[in-house]
Amino acid sequence: MTARGYFERLQAVFASEKTRLDELDAAIGDGDHGTTMLRGLNAAVKADDGRQAKAFMRASGGASGTLFGLVLHEIELHLIGSDMTPGAHLDRAIERIKALGKVETGDKTMVDALEPAARALEAGGGINEAVAAAAQGRDATRAMAARSGRARYVENAGAGHIDPGATSVCLILQALADAGEQ
Amino acid sequence: MKKLFNSQETMVDDMIDGFVAAFPQVVRGNNDPRIVVRAKSKNRDEKVTLLIGNGSGHEPIAMGFIGEGLLDANVVGDVFAAPSADLILDGIAEVNGAAGSILLVSQHSGDVINGGAAVMLAEEAGHRVKPLYMYDDISSAPKGQEGERRGAPGTMFIYKILGAAAEEGTALGPLYALGEAVRDNTRTLAAAVSPGISPLNGKAMFSLPDDEIYLGMGVHGEPGIGRAKYGPVSGLVETIVEALLEDRPIEAGDKVAVMINGMGGTTLMELLTIYGQTEKSLAARGIKAIAPMVGTFVTTQEMGGFSISLLTPTPEMLRYWCAPSDTPHFPAINMG
Repeated sequence: MTARGYFERLQAVFASEKTRLDELDAAIGDGDHGTTMLRGLNAAVKADDGRQAKAFMRASGGASGTLFGLVLHEIELHLIGSDMTPGAHLDRAIERIKALGKVETGDKTMVDALEPAARALEAGGGINEAVAAAAQGRDATRAMAARSGRARYVENAGAGHIDPGATSVCLILQALADAGEQ
Repeated sequence: MKKLFNSQETMVDDMIDGFVAAFPQVVRGNNDPRIVVRAKSKNRDEKVTLLIGNGSGHEPIAMGFIGEGLLDANVVGDVFAAPSADLILDGIAEVNGAAGSILLVSQHSGDVINGGAAVMLAEEAGHRVKPLYMYDDISSAPKGQEGERRGAPGTMFIYKILGAAAEEGTALGPLYALGEAVRDNTRTLAAAVSPGISPLNGKAMFSLPDDEIYLGMGVHGEPGIGRAKYGPVSGLVETIVEALLEDRPIEAGDKVAVMINGMGGTTLMELLTIYGQTEKSLAARGIKAIAPMVGTFVTTQEMGGFSISLLTPTPEMLRYWCAPSDTPHFPAINMG
């Protein structure tokens, strides 16, 4: 799959999931996570080759736009053609997100879906195993209490609600799997 | 509030149009219309370049400080919003050469995440660049947690001193260390008396009773220490100086560089009164105020209020602080 084909597929996924993501986010945050992601993807599909993740960052705005942009940047490099393994790309995104967002494993963030996916790849799995691991990580965020972001200030620090960022990670990986990407 | 704009969509770009038209020493960069650079750049393989990204609405910072002896570029975000990582990356690429670059980052969450991500992407692309996180606002985190504090107007000490040192050919490593040393020797505390009006929604950014002032408010109206009773400026300045010296003691007999910044809606008449009072407060403790900078440089629209910043300079810092520069809005600093 080309990077362009991937971003177009992802745009279609988030167009249909936008409302659900906004609702998930409304429980623990600003209620605009789906809107923000779709705004970024709408710009990404119009951008030049090699600048699609950057266009996403610019248009989505805010901290979460930048952090998701770093994930999409690695996927874009992988699809364009890269010497690094998919696992190495994912690890680099995770390392950067943890450093910039000052978050750790278990903080109820996108990292909680990304890390299990990276571990699945590390263990020799393919994209389908990564997607399954990310889904487990996403579901585990339901019991977690947030330590950063707006979710920290809601009742029980958001415990009882699935993290919308972790949910988006699953959609991002699922779109790769659906295209038969290994 | 009658604000003078064409439209929300174009207000930032319209401002940059006017800026580059008014000041020929500053031009737009090639990579993006939101990047402004020095018209006459030096050899970037020999001189370290300095740049900063920041939200607009705080002018003249930071566009106004581009030029010889100061900044090489400014990446301009939307009103009160940090520019995105990819835009800052374009700014780095615009001015980066073999001598390397320092990305100045005034510590606010959006600037930290986007600036940090931009540096990561720039290193990946082969650029030599280091982020220098700047913080000086003593109201934003307690003593001992200085690294958690916000950037405030005292960060202008870093711009100017590094700008002058870079112009003289200081290499990236020593320049960065100098920046950290200036940061460690700088403290700022602000007091607000009236809100700015956001150009985005026409609303006052906070409310405050007529007989109260707010101590330690950030440049976006972030909470600080709390409210105090409004009264003569002598008492207010004394409170601020006392807090600054408690946070970072300065010994009797020492000299300190003083910066008084107006937030946009405070007159020069008031700011000069505040400087005079600051000098007296310091003198009463045996500390001599030198090389002052007094005026309106970091604004939040028409917010009323001011900050006092103190830098304990080394002789090297003081020389760079007072070195000549040629920018649209940075003043000449005299040793005093």
